[in-house]
Amino acid sequence: MKKVIVHPERCVGCMQCMAACAAAHSRSKSVHGAVLEFPIPKPRIHVGSGIYGEGFPNRCRHCDPAPCMLACLPGAIYRDDSMETVLIDPFRCINCASCAMACPFGVIRYHEDRAAPPGKCIAVKCDNCLERQLQGLIPACAEVCKSGALRFEEPAADLKDKTDEIARRISLGAVEGDFAHAPALALLNAFKRAQREVNERRP
Amino acid sequence: MRYVVIGNGIAGVHALETIRKLDPNGSITLVAGETFPPYCRPMISLVLDGSLTEEDLPVRGPDFYEALGVEAFVGEHVVDLDAERRVLTTDRNRNILFDRLLIASGANPRRIKAQGLELGRIFFMRNQMHVRDMIASLDGVEEALVLGGGLVGFKAAYSLMKRGVRVTMLIRSGYPLSMQVDAHAGSMILDELVKNGLTVRVGAEVIAFEGNGFVRAAHLEDGSTISCGMVVIGKGVRPATSFLRTQQIAVDLGVLVDERLQTSVPGIFAAGDVAEHYDVARKSRWVNAIWPVAVEQGRVAGMNMAGRDVSYKGSLSRNVIRIFDLDVLTGGLVNPPDDSYLVLTRMDPRRRTYRKLVFRDGRLVGLVMVNEIEQGGVLLSLIHGGHTLPIEGEAVLEPSFNVARLFPHQRGFLQARRTGK
Repeated sequence: MKKVIVHPERCVGCMQCMAACAAAHSRSKSVHGAVLEFPIPKPRIHVGSGIYGEGFPNRCRHCDPAPCMLACLPGAIYRDDSMETVLIDPFRCINCASCAMACPFGVIRYHEDRAAPPGKCIAVKCDNCLERQLQGLIPACAEVCKSGALRFEEPAADLKDKTDEIARRISLGAVEGDFAHAPALALLNAFKRAQREVNERRP
Repeated sequence: MRYVVIGNGIAGVHALETIRKLDPNGSITLVAGETFPPYCRPMISLVLDGSLTEEDLPVRGPDFYEALGVEAFVGEHVVDLDAERRVLTTDRNRNILFDRLLIASGANPRRIKAQGLELGRIFFMRNQMHVRDMIASLDGVEEALVLGGGLVGFKAAYSLMKRGVRVTMLIRSGYPLSMQVDAHAGSMILDELVKNGLTVRVGAEVIAFEGNGFVRAAHLEDGSTISCGMVVIGKGVRPATSFLRTQQIAVDLGVLVDERLQTSVPGIFAAGDVAEHYDVARKSRWVNAIWPVAVEQGRVAGMNMAGRDVSYKGSLSRNVIRIFDLDVLTGGLVNPPDDSYLVLTRMDPRRRTYRKLVFRDGRLVGLVMVNEIEQGGVLLSLIHGGHTLPIEGEAVLEPSFNVARLFPHQRGFLQARRTGK
């Protein structure tokens, strides 16, 4: 089954995935419509910045076993085995934040949501865009990502990609400079890192 | 194989499920005092405050035991356990033989010494029945007295306040939840509660209750009197070990267990609020009587009972508390015992946040977060794992802290370095 696979080294931190995610979980399904809705749709993917300012798309891993599921007091968090997705029942959720203590990646947020009864705050996290997938669309974050940091693909195909990359790198005749899979992105990250080091060394 | 589980709290429930998964044919028996289908104890205060009903409490269906093929004796208490003859006796004179036993009998509220405890409307708040009784006698109660500022006392006070009852809380330390939070977070919680109408009295103990059938007032040791139509006693809990023969099974505060959650008697295990295992932050034996630890221990004990060798690393105390406009998340060693610990704090009045991190030898061992608690799980898993922090402690206090900060330099960068000559 295809999954959203994260390639953090390709993230440029543009946050388009966040806007697309919020829009995908809105009534109007458009960014322009979403900003007029109440409760205002919020993203379930969170682009954080790493140690030298590089982007990092932080998304629910749908762990198995899922720590949030074991910690959930009312039993609102469950797994949809067919889609390999961990979901939250908005009616059972009591907004106790027990899952905030359990999630080692910090991807759960607490606010009102279209899926919950009006006025009720609930725990909200990535649902692998099941609504879109049922319509034959791919998850919104992967659809909108232009740098290839979020790709919807078969895990096995992605692994093969990585293996091929390493094979190319160690094979005879490999030319230095050909190594980088995405030279522009590698350069961007190198630049961010250099900038940070310069700032740190400045008296 | 004959498995017997004592207790249908969440540790017992997870043990039953785990045993059945690994041993489809073994005979499993449950003995439990409570007759309700397995339900969520931490949620009973939400029934008291009116935001949930009793129907919201169950975490498993009414056919739970039947579906698992478990013979359940509910409403029965174990009165004796003979570890040598491997038999237990219930208060209905039932003898049950076992090969593997799990003691998941939980904990009981700590009692207090005072006159007039037999009066009506003096409650513990530990189980569903207690809360049902409290709600039934709420009519006409305008003032309530809560003894103890721990989690139970705090939850009782908060719930009664939401019901419109004027609450006075009697606490020994200067602020509520002193076991869970530090003085600064404690005073933030106190301010929030007082702002919303709670009266707090520090220091004094109750020596007597007065009333005519029902409690009307409490007399304190300092000579003063507090009028109250209801009293909730929240002075902590004690592991329920009274049915154990201590010459057979080693009991300290709780039942002592090893890393497989086995007691001093082979084949007898303990899990949940009754078990005394090891606290990873304190690095000592400790009873962490909290729900997530009961879940973990119930699963590990179940696996070991069914013959799968699994070791349990230790538990971590942790709590998350939401009161009015305040979210508080705590974990591990919050108030370090001596000054060999490094403590970092940061307050941000504009964001209304407070952070406190406690380090021992470069490892995070304790934390308090007030508001913006979403990254709490990242830090708690660092404490649980006992890892050294790859970044400066100060960097964790930044509002922009997120899990990416903990990753070593990313691959993309390494690639760039190699190609960037």
